[in-house]
Amino acid sequence: MPLRVSKKKEAIKHAMLWFVLLLAFFPLLLMFVVSFKNNDQFMNNPWWFDAVSDWQWENWAKAWGIVSNYIANSVVVAVAAVTLCLVMAVPTAYVMARYKFPGKGVLYYALVGSMFLPGTAATLVTMFMLIRSLGLVNNLLALILVGSVGGQIVSVFILRQFIEDIPKELFESARIDGAGHFGQIRNIVLPMSGSVLGTLAIMQFLGSWNSLMLPLLVLRDDELWTIPVGLMALDGEYVKQWGDMMAGFSIAALPLVILFFFTMRFFVKGLTAGAVKG
Amino acid sequence: MAEIFFDNICKTFPGGVEAVKDFTLTIHDKEFMVFVGPSGCGKSTTLRMVAGLEEITDGTIRIGDKIVNDVPPKDRDIAMVFQNYALYPHMTVYQNMAFALKLRKYPKQERDKRVHDAAKILGIEELLERRPKALSGGQRQRVAVGRAIVRHPAAFLFDEPLSNLDAKLRVEMRAELKRLHATLETTTIYVTHDQEEAMTLGNRIVVMKDGVIQQCGAPLEVYNSPTNRFVAGFVGTPPMNFFAGSLTGDDGDLWFDEGSFRIRLEKQQADHLGSWTGRDMICGVRPEAMGLVGDGRFAGRDNTITVRVNVIEPFGESMDIYVATPKHPHIVARTEARSDIEPDQNLKLHLDMSRIHIFEPGDMGANLSRKGEPAVV
Repeated sequence: MPLRVSKKKEAIKHAMLWFVLLLAFFPLLLMFVVSFKNNDQFMNNPWWFDAVSDWQWENWAKAWGIVSNYIANSVVVAVAAVTLCLVMAVPTAYVMARYKFPGKGVLYYALVGSMFLPGTAATLVTMFMLIRSLGLVNNLLALILVGSVGGQIVSVFILRQFIEDIPKELFESARIDGAGHFGQIRNIVLPMSGSVLGTLAIMQFLGSWNSLMLPLLVLRDDELWTIPVGLMALDGEYVKQWGDMMAGFSIAALPLVILFFFTMRFFVKGLTAGAVKG
Repeated sequence: MAEIFFDNICKTFPGGVEAVKDFTLTIHDKEFMVFVGPSGCGKSTTLRMVAGLEEITDGTIRIGDKIVNDVPPKDRDIAMVFQNYALYPHMTVYQNMAFALKLRKYPKQERDKRVHDAAKILGIEELLERRPKALSGGQRQRVAVGRAIVRHPAAFLFDEPLSNLDAKLRVEMRAELKRLHATLETTTIYVTHDQEEAMTLGNRIVVMKDGVIQQCGAPLEVYNSPTNRFVAGFVGTPPMNFFAGSLTGDDGDLWFDEGSFRIRLEKQQADHLGSWTGRDMICGVRPEAMGLVGDGRFAGRDNTITVRVNVIEPFGESMDIYVATPKHPHIVARTEARSDIEPDQNLKLHLDMSRIHIFEPGDMGANLSRKGEPAVV
């Protein structure tokens, strides 16, 4: 009898998981389905694919023509922001984790405390004014700088915990072997924190890729638009071309799906890093 | 190769904890020096000050002709082996061993030669392409030692390197380290809390407590002639037995009176300790200085104590007998093995009076029986 109860429980558990999974994937599936339809097909049958012969491949070709430039802009901004962010965060976290200096506690908690400040809502106006005074309006550099600084605190916070967990004897041994600070970062911190760095990079990349408000405010010329701004423009003024829009959204999602597919193992490992003693 | 000099070294940690106090010592070229003492005695801190991993609060450390107080660790020409091996987990054994040479920009050929020479000495040639996680504890230890010896440093520093190994492997590695020192003849400082390790490895040992050198000398000198009660109790397994009592004079002889027994001190000791007659004292007797039969070194008059047997631990040829006097319930004697001794029986033990130590009262009481001056530090 207890076995049957346990099986029933298992079944309920699995059913719930499938339900959640379905909720998460259903909009994506719909997006994909609609990307092959014209407006008439969409009105008649919005829920599932039509016959393959009726698929509107030109939606994808048209969307690619529009969004490819936005994707390139987004890749430039995201890669540059993530790189800059981690290049600054790793040495900062190393110093925070390894060295004692006057005011370290105050500095660290001030940094961490700033994570609790409201983000875009509170800072958008001042940030725009700052960008304007720097002469960076309508310039991708503004997004790169803001993106790299924005992810900084979380990265320092997570990396510091991780570096603190690396046995101090490894650093001491490296010091005796002849490694300076950058030598220790290059030879110990970077090789040992691959999964955490990978996770942080993916998280920052996602943040930058999905950022809408700031690019919308800062970028004026449409050849500079990033993908979220570009996708908004796909939404026609008088008639919505649902198929074109959804093809554009699908193309915009693809780089992230590919990125996540290849880095999933790192990502999961990184999320649990430091959870148990290794 | 180098001598290492400590001149009045002090280390005070933030918060005022004094870890090392007035540490003055000379470690000779090619010497194997062991720092031994209980946890928190300052031995590791002293070693770390030599390595440059800990700042020196006061005093100077010299390696060879160079005062190294402000010299960074990499420029001190030392190599250190840590308790947890500190092998870089993402590097192979070869890369671990060659790492310091690579940072110092040795040519690839020279690196190769040194790593293979060291691997050959340590018998780890077949492990060079493995990563540390694929090695056993003993193999990791060998790699850690290998990483130190490829550098050909002026001195080796070992910080409790065998503590993480099981008992059997520890004994094996101990012999290996001794052989290695005989081969390389590099000045070595070795830190351990295990007095047996200290006794077997060191040319000389330094016994420390609370940041202060209690005694420095050859292992047998420290064992046979401890400066105070702490050293006497710390060095030796099982530890020395201590009886509280007093010195009394009777019939022109000097006696140690415990209350339940009294023993007559040898004339030489009596002459030495005569001025302490009438004072409370502690008598120290090593377990092996007690015998079951009153002949040979146990022969003599008034050198017996009557005890009650608690527990017997036979080891084959010898045995430890845990006994009690009415005043001292935890006494241990190491004697030849015999099968006619039972728990709860009364037993007469004969003492080797030439190996009796009389200490001043207190945990750190000085050994008044020591002949000559304290060991030169």
